[in-house]
Amino acid sequence: MKTLRLSPFGLRGFTGDSLTMRAVLDYASAFASFAAGRRVLLARDTRGSSAMLAAAAGSALVAAGCEVLDLGICPAPILQFSVPANGAEGAILIGGGHLAAGWNSIQLVGPDGAPLDPLAGETVLDLYHAGAFARRGWDGLGRLQPAEAFLAPYLEALTRHLGVAAVRRAGFRVLLDPVGGAACPFLAPLTRALGVDAVAVNGEPSAYLARDPEPRPRNARPLAAMMRPLGAHAGFLFSSDASRVSLVTEEGEPVSEEMSLAIAADQALRRAQGPVVVNCCTSRMIDDLAAARGVPLIKTPVGQAHVMAGLADEDGVVGGEGSGSVAVPAFSRAFDGFLLMGLVLEAMAVSGRPLSALVGALRRYHIVKRTVRWSAGGSYRALDVLRERRPDVRDGRADETDGFRVDVADGWVHARASRTVPLVRIISESTDRAVAEARAEAWVRAIEEAS
Amino acid sequence: MTAGRTAEPVRAALKVGISGVRGVVGEALTPQVAAAFAQAFGTFVGHGPVLVGRDTRPSGPMLEAAVTAGLQSVGCTPVRLGRVPTPSLLRHVPAAGARGGIVISASHNAAPWNALKFADRRGLFLTPALAEELFDLYHQQDFPLAAEPEIREPREDETAVRGHLEAVAAYVDTAAIRARRFRVALDPGNGVGALHAPDFLRERLGCAVTVVHGEPHGRFEREPEPLPEHLGALGEAVRRDGCAIGFAQDPDGDRLAIVDETGAPIGEDFTLAFAVRQVLAAHRRGPVVVNETASRVIEGIAAEAGCAVVRTRTGEIHVVAEMLARDAAVGGENIGGVILPAVHPCRDSFGAMAIVLEMLATGPRTVRAWRDAFPRTAVAKRKVPVRGPEAPAVLRELRRRYADRPLRLLDGVGIGFGDDWVCVRRSNTEPILRITAEADTAAAAARLAGELAEAAETARRKIETQHPGPPPRGEKG
Repeated sequence: MKTLRLSPFGLRGFTGDSLTMRAVLDYASAFASFAAGRRVLLARDTRGSSAMLAAAAGSALVAAGCEVLDLGICPAPILQFSVPANGAEGAILIGGGHLAAGWNSIQLVGPDGAPLDPLAGETVLDLYHAGAFARRGWDGLGRLQPAEAFLAPYLEALTRHLGVAAVRRAGFRVLLDPVGGAACPFLAPLTRALGVDAVAVNGEPSAYLARDPEPRPRNARPLAAMMRPLGAHAGFLFSSDASRVSLVTEEGEPVSEEMSLAIAADQALRRAQGPVVVNCCTSRMIDDLAAARGVPLIKTPVGQAHVMAGLADEDGVVGGEGSGSVAVPAFSRAFDGFLLMGLVLEAMAVSGRPLSALVGALRRYHIVKRTVRWSAGGSYRALDVLRERRPDVRDGRADETDGFRVDVADGWVHARASRTVPLVRIISESTDRAVAEARAEAWVRAIEEAS
Repeated sequence: MTAGRTAEPVRAALKVGISGVRGVVGEALTPQVAAAFAQAFGTFVGHGPVLVGRDTRPSGPMLEAAVTAGLQSVGCTPVRLGRVPTPSLLRHVPAAGARGGIVISASHNAAPWNALKFADRRGLFLTPALAEELFDLYHQQDFPLAAEPEIREPREDETAVRGHLEAVAAYVDTAAIRARRFRVALDPGNGVGALHAPDFLRERLGCAVTVVHGEPHGRFEREPEPLPEHLGALGEAVRRDGCAIGFAQDPDGDRLAIVDETGAPIGEDFTLAFAVRQVLAAHRRGPVVVNETASRVIEGIAAEAGCAVVRTRTGEIHVVAEMLARDAAVGGENIGGVILPAVHPCRDSFGAMAIVLEMLATGPRTVRAWRDAFPRTAVAKRKVPVRGPEAPAVLRELRRRYADRPLRLLDGVGIGFGDDWVCVRRSNTEPILRITAEADTAAAAARLAGELAEAAETARRKIETQHPGPPPRGEKG
C-alpha cells in the first residue's frame, strides 16, 4: 500500500515505504528554494525516523543558503511560537503527531507560525514536482546551528497570556501522558511555570509509541486508573507533537476529546469576545458555546491550516478542532496543547469547580465515530452515494465545506475521506446516544451496499 | 586553435571514478546526490556501523547531514567522526569494527569542489571492481529502505584521531625525536591538519611548532595542493623562526610536502624518498611499492638496502593493493603520499612527518644535506588538456612515434632516454594528460617534458583533424 499524502503544508506517509528520505529531502529542498537565504527553524519529535528526516531537511536548507536554527526535539506549538519570535521565514517540523506508529510527516510552517499558507504551499509543491531547487555555491551555503534558549521566551509569553496566579494558588496536581513524544523534555519547566505539581506517564522520550498517539478516551485507560490513587485534579493526554489533548477528570473518567476545545474555548472567551473558528465536524458543544456568548461561529475544512487561515481571515479570538486542539491568535498561531492545558486549569481555578463539574455543565452530546474501508481513489464515489441517499437525515441541511455533512435538529452526521488511510470516516452526533448510533450505522451500511 | 574546440576542455561538474564521486558544490554535488550515494554505499556494505568523516570545507556539514540521512534510510548506523584526517578515518574502520567508511573531502581540489570517497571494512578505498558495483547500485536507484523500527540513531566517535596518532607515535622512535626538541614549521592549509597536527608535533614529538594557515575554516588561504610553488609562506616561516624543517599538508591530511631549513621545497618525490630510506634503514627491510612516475631515487635507496621496488599505476588503491599482495615494508606515491603499512595501508601525512623527523633525529645532518646525499635528480611536470575520447588515441600515437625507444606501458606510456625517462598518462581526476620527466638536471627534465608535451599536442591535433566534432559533455574516469 502506497500511502504518501501531499498537501500544500506537508507530506506524510509510512516511513521507508511512501515517506522516503528522498521524498523529504526533495520536499525540504523545494521549501528551501522558496525560503532561500533566509532564517528557517528546524525541529523534530522522538520517532525513530525523525532524526534521519531532520538531517535530510537540514542538508536541503543549508544547500539553499538558509540560516538554520535547529531546535532538536521540540513540540509543534513551541516551534510554531518560536518562528515569529526569531524573525524566521518559516520552519520545518518532522514528526508523526497523532499518526500511528510507522508513520511520519514533514510539515511546513510560515513566517507567522501557522502552517504554511496554502498559496505559498502550492508554490512549494510546484517546485517539488518540477525538481527545480535553488542551490548556492560553496561560499554561499547556509549554516546549521543549534537554537539556544528558545523555551524561556515561550514560557514567559504563555504565563503572561494566561495570568497564572489563580492556577498557582489552587495548588493543583496533574497527570500527564505525552506518549514519549516531543513534549517530554519540556514538561518539568512547563508545569513549574504554571505552578502545578505534575506526574508523567510515558514521560521519557522514546522512538516507540507506548500507546496510540491520538488523545481519545480509549487511549486514556492507564492514566485514568492513576487519577484517584494519586489524588490528581486533572489528567492530560497529549498527541506526540503536543498539539492535541484529551482530558481525564479527577474521578478518573476519560472524557471525549471534543470537550477539550469546549472547555478551553469557553475560558478563552472570558478574556476576549469575538469570532470562534472550528472545522466543520466539531461537536455542537461549540455551537452552543458561541450562541451562549453571542459570538459568531465560523466553520472551515478540516486541518490546522484551514482553521488558522479562518482565524486570520475572521479576526477570530479562539479556534480549534474537535480532535482536541485549541489556538488563541493573541498568543500564537498554533494548535497548542500546553495552552489548552493552561486554559483548562485556569477554568478550574477561576470557577473553583472540579474538572468533572466543568464537564458535567456542558450539554451532553453523544458522538459516534465509525470508519468504512474504501479504496483510496474511490472515496469520493462513497460520498456521492451519501449525497444521493442521505440515509436517516433526508430533511436536514447539507454542507460540503469538507466532505459531506447533514445537520438536523438533535444533531448531525458527517462523512469525509481520510487523508492518510483508505477509509471513509463517519461522525454522528446527537443528544440521544441511540439516535447517533443508528445514523452512523445507516451511513456505514449505505456505503457498504454501494461498494 | 582549431575551430570547434574550446580553449578549456569541458570538465564535467560531477565526476564518478576510482577516487569516488566528486563535484562542484551547488552545481552537481547536491544533498540529493550525496544522500543517494550514501544509500548505495549503505546497501553495498549492509546494515551496521559506517564511519563518516570530513575535512574543513564549508560544504562539509551539509554533505555530512545528507550522508547521515542516506545511511540511516537503508538501515546503517552512521558513526560521525567530525573533522578528521582521511588516514585517521581509514585506520579506524577496522579498529571500530565498522562496515565501511565515507570520507567527505575533495582532498587537494579547490574549495568549490567536494567529494565522497568510499572505504571497505578493511579501511581501504574501493578497488575499481568494487567501485563499479557501488556505482551500479547508485545508478539503479532502487534501495531497500528501512522501516521505522529498523532505523538506527547516528553515533559520535571522537577516538579515531587519538588511535591513529598513538599508532604513529608507537611506530617511530619517539624518544629520539623528542630528545632533539626540533623547531618545525607547519602549514596545514586551513585543513584538518590545523586541528590535529600542532598538538601531535608538540605533545607527542616534543617539537616547537610555528603554524601558518592554521585556521581550520576550509576557505583555503593557500592553494590546497601542496606543490612547491604554493609553499612560500611556509618557507618564510622556516627562515624567520630558524626551523629545522617545514611541513605542508593537503586539506584532508593524507599528503605531505617538505621545505628544508633554508625554506626551499625539496619536492614531493623526496618526501617519499626520505620515508622509504628511514623505514628500510631503521624498521624493516622488504619490498617497496611506488607508482609508475615516482622518482628513480627510490630504486637507488632500495638497492642500497637490498630491497626490491615494484611499480604500479598511479592511484592510492593500486599502490596499496600491490603493497598488501607483496607484504611491502613501505610504499607511496610521488605526490607526497607516504604509506606506512605498519600504521595503516593508506597515505598518511602524520606518519610521514614522524618518520622524516625520526630520520633527522639519527644525526646532525640537515634536511638539505639529506636531500643532497641522494643521487642528483630532477623532475619536471607538464599538463596537456585533452578530451576524454582522444586520450587513448594520443597515447597510441606516442607509442608509435617512440617505438624505437625502451617503452613501459604500465600506466600510460613510459619512454626511456638512457638513464632519463618520461611518462605520459591520463589523469584519474581531470581531463588532462600528465607528463612527468626525470633527468639529472632540472633543465634536462624540463626539456624532456617539453618535448613530450609538444609531441602529445601534435598527436592530438592530428587525431582531431581525422575525427572532428564537438567535445562531448562528461568525461570517463
